[in-house]
Amino acid sequence: MRTRESLGGMALLAPTLLLLLGLVLYPFCYAIWLAFSDKTVGSPGQYVGLRNFIYVLSWPQFSAAVTNTIVFTVSAVAIKFVLGMAVALVLNQRIRARNFFRAFLLLPWVMPAFVVYLVWRWLYDPLAGLINYALLDIGVIASPIAFLSDRSTAMGSVVVAHAWRNFPFYAISFLAGMQTISQELYDSAQVDGASRIRQFRHITLPGLYHIIGVVLLLTTIQTANAFEPIYLLTGGGPSDATMVYTMLVYVMGIMNLRLGEAAAVSTLFLPLLVGLVLVVTMLLQKKANA
Amino acid sequence: MARPAIRPTRRQFLKTSAAVAVGAGATRPFGTPALAQRPKLVYWCYQFLKSSDDARANFAQEWAKKNNVDLQISMVPLKEFLPKITAAIEAKATPDIIESDAVELRARGQLLDVTDIYKKLEKTYGGWVGNSPKIMLEPDGRVHHIMYGFQGFMLMSRDDLVKEAGLTPPPATWVDMLAYAKKAQKLPRIFGMGIPVSNQTDSQVWEDMMKSYGARLADEKGKRIVLGDYKPQVWEFLDFFTEVWKAGVLPPGVTTWDNTMNNSTYQSGKAVFILNPITLSLWLEENNPELLAKTGHYTYPKGPKGLIQPVTFGSRAIMKYTKVPDLAKQFLWDSMEPGKMDREHGVSQWGPVLKAYLGFDVWKKKPFMKGLIDLSLRGEPQGYPDVFNDAWREQHTNTTISRMLQRLVVDNWSRDKAFVEALDVLGKIYSKYAV
Repeated sequence: MRTRESLGGMALLAPTLLLLLGLVLYPFCYAIWLAFSDKTVGSPGQYVGLRNFIYVLSWPQFSAAVTNTIVFTVSAVAIKFVLGMAVALVLNQRIRARNFFRAFLLLPWVMPAFVVYLVWRWLYDPLAGLINYALLDIGVIASPIAFLSDRSTAMGSVVVAHAWRNFPFYAISFLAGMQTISQELYDSAQVDGASRIRQFRHITLPGLYHIIGVVLLLTTIQTANAFEPIYLLTGGGPSDATMVYTMLVYVMGIMNLRLGEAAAVSTLFLPLLVGLVLVVTMLLQKKANA
Repeated sequence: MARPAIRPTRRQFLKTSAAVAVGAGATRPFGTPALAQRPKLVYWCYQFLKSSDDARANFAQEWAKKNNVDLQISMVPLKEFLPKITAAIEAKATPDIIESDAVELRARGQLLDVTDIYKKLEKTYGGWVGNSPKIMLEPDGRVHHIMYGFQGFMLMSRDDLVKEAGLTPPPATWVDMLAYAKKAQKLPRIFGMGIPVSNQTDSQVWEDMMKSYGARLADEKGKRIVLGDYKPQVWEFLDFFTEVWKAGVLPPGVTTWDNTMNNSTYQSGKAVFILNPITLSLWLEENNPELLAKTGHYTYPKGPKGLIQPVTFGSRAIMKYTKVPDLAKQFLWDSMEPGKMDREHGVSQWGPVLKAYLGFDVWKKKPFMKGLIDLSLRGEPQGYPDVFNDAWREQHTNTTISRMLQRLVVDNWSRDKAFVEALDVLGKIYSKYAV
């Protein structure tokens, strides 16, 4: 009877398992195989051992891509986190037109990335951009700043544009979490004389740990894999100042049609991404257990 | 009194369904015979200049109607073509006819041999213009794509500003162009040279300039990098580039310009000189005739070692996976008919590729077309004097020379360091194709 039951259970699980294998494991293994092959578009590709990895590791933009991907991911996630939390705290208060602002907040997030980044490119433009126009007009600067074209400002400008588009996800998620925290906790804290900051540290933040964990985990992966902001704003330039790994994969795989090399770049970044995700998870776990 | 509904059994339901299906199948041949027999052709049309794209798409629609073909047209911008065709090839769902990146796909064995059409067109329409054969013919004499137009970068000049500065257009050499740019620009509103120095392929005009200083990337066979032997020429070119950079004739932001920014800068009247195909002039014709009237169109200025004027092209090819090769070839042939091409050239950016097209009125009617004729007759294939092969193409999309220049001005590297990196990158790329 038990064997029959477990067989039935396995039969019910099989379709899901097959779907997962087909949609996740197969592409993953195929990508790894590509990294060890000389596959180009239209050719079947042959096993070439570590040749792609050696080539990619010696490619001048690869080390820049590693550094830039880390800088971009860490700084963008940090900004989105702080901004998202601040906005969520404001929108969790009883303010006028709260519902309108909550809906309005989603605007950058629901706009197509293409539109958002082209608007930002125009805003940053040194010849016709609004930011330069305003700064020149109020006398803050004497000559236009090429935000996207100067090594010192390019990455920061891309991060700002990316953070602006994506922080609403943080804010909405945190806001949803804040609404599940009992008001009684705040009331009793207030009776005990706890300041707003202490209330935030000891009630809000612990109440949000699980949501923070999920949001950070998902968005760290998403940010590290971001492609549109770089592609549409700088193309990886000036020089290699904003060259991230997704852009390098695009150039090698799509522009040069060399899928094996592109897959090698992705494969080399896999441990880095897993590492980033592990660090985030461990930090949060540690905090939650404390 | 209502009779209780009789629920059919599962067996009855299946029986009825099968009968209906068989019945429907039996009547189908009488119902839609023409639709079933209409051959299907999928055509990915190059999308760039609306008037030109419309002309080609309209012709294709008319042709399909006349030949009772079920035609599916997709307009695909150049930037999206490679990602799309890559996915289509890997998914084994390719179009029949394409209009972009034929050389790249030819090298990967993805195209059908169309040598017969090439020869028939050559014989029927008086031969090919300029370097068309060099672009289409492969070393073994086969052809895999049929060119329908030349285009290429020209020097577009605000002649009104140049003359206002007391100069006579066009500048004869690159050095003259810099001198003209310095004198004619009106900072901070109008910059002398709207030329990108970025990671986009338009920036590779600097490679053409470098070659007009006498340098070349690889040997005659296009296999081995020889740029290292041309250090004096490269240094002379870098002297020129450094002077351009320091002169402030390049607008701020050129190090991240994409391939549209030189156009938009000129369109908004903010550049004296740009290097661009005449697509811009066709846009101006429609949208800003006043600016077009002030614009001169010329071949590139010369370098110390002469003129390097590359041409690009538009071409059609048939994917080797097509199920209707004869029909696709018929389309290629019909689409080159002079009457049709005459109408198309009037609204397009393309220069003539067949001698029968040289007599079209459009070349006389529009003054800016003169430059296009010069380009078609005298332009060299991209990469010249280097061989236009896969290795050259890869270093081109990698914007190797523009990256070398960015190392100097963005990263403040020394010339030697930037040059060594460029040689290393070129060596890596070419060595992959040397076997």
